[in-house]
Amino acid sequence: MTDKFSFHHVWGGLEQALGISQQRHALITGNISHLETPRYKPKDIDFQGALKQAMDKSPRVSMAQTDPGHLGMAPDGMKGVDVTEEEGEWNGFNWVNIDKEMTRLVENDLLFRTASEILIRKIGLLKEIIREGGR
Amino acid sequence: MGIFGSFDISASGLHVQRKRMDVISSNLANMETTRTERGVPYRRKMIVLGAEPAEDFDSLFNLRLEEAKIDEVVEDQSPFMQVHDPGHPDADAEGSVLKPNVDLVVEMTNLLTARRVFEANVTAMKTTRQMVLKALEIGR
Repeated sequence: MTDKFSFHHVWGGLEQALGISQQRHALITGNISHLETPRYKPKDIDFQGALKQAMDKSPRVSMAQTDPGHLGMAPDGMKGVDVTEEEGEWNGFNWVNIDKEMTRLVENDLLFRTASEILIRKIGLLKEIIREGGR
Repeated sequence: MGIFGSFDISASGLHVQRKRMDVISSNLANMETTRTERGVPYRRKMIVLGAEPAEDFDSLFNLRLEEAKIDEVVEDQSPFMQVHDPGHPDADAEGSVLKPNVDLVVEMTNLLTARRVFEANVTAMKTTRQMVLKALEIGR
């Protein structure tokens, strides 16, 4: 329990989530801009999968630990998120479905907001600790 | 079902109504088409809607949530309209022409319904989004 819910791990996870969400946003807006491109296949990232993958990755450079209770490093930055090209329904022109893309855009927006909201609250908590701890 | 499940269901509704609009457009555009590839007047097309279980619906509470989907596009088998127009190239010996079985009133009603249902789905989606955003404010 200590490692999975430790401060740095959650912090790193949120960072990854924001990053993946940002990448996903770029892909979705890209798909929307290719609405009229012949034979275009929409691209996407499996958010949950990518986040899990990023968080499971052990840090490349590890910090020396003289005690098992010492904290390690935050998970490594995101590299090589799997971008999938999917064939949904062929609409006679390409594979882009505007309703689907808009839905994903909203979903992703909410995921991003959620992650940043948690991060904001976490920072607030840190501030509180610093302020109150010095008294 | 996750928080985003309702988005997918709403999206299926949007998709179906958009396809329905395609069919209505086709019917309206071909209201006067007397020659199709098969040599008969244009037949009115209709969309038959079906439902499929939402991808990860929660069987625990026996919630049968279903996404809308297009089952098939069928042709209206009602008889063609017969119009007396001897000058028409496709008129028979008695001067009557077979016109497509497209009824403008029916098509316009369907058009209106498709639009309203589309709007309803957009509203449902907006509401879901606002609910999630509100939930983020809990405890602030």
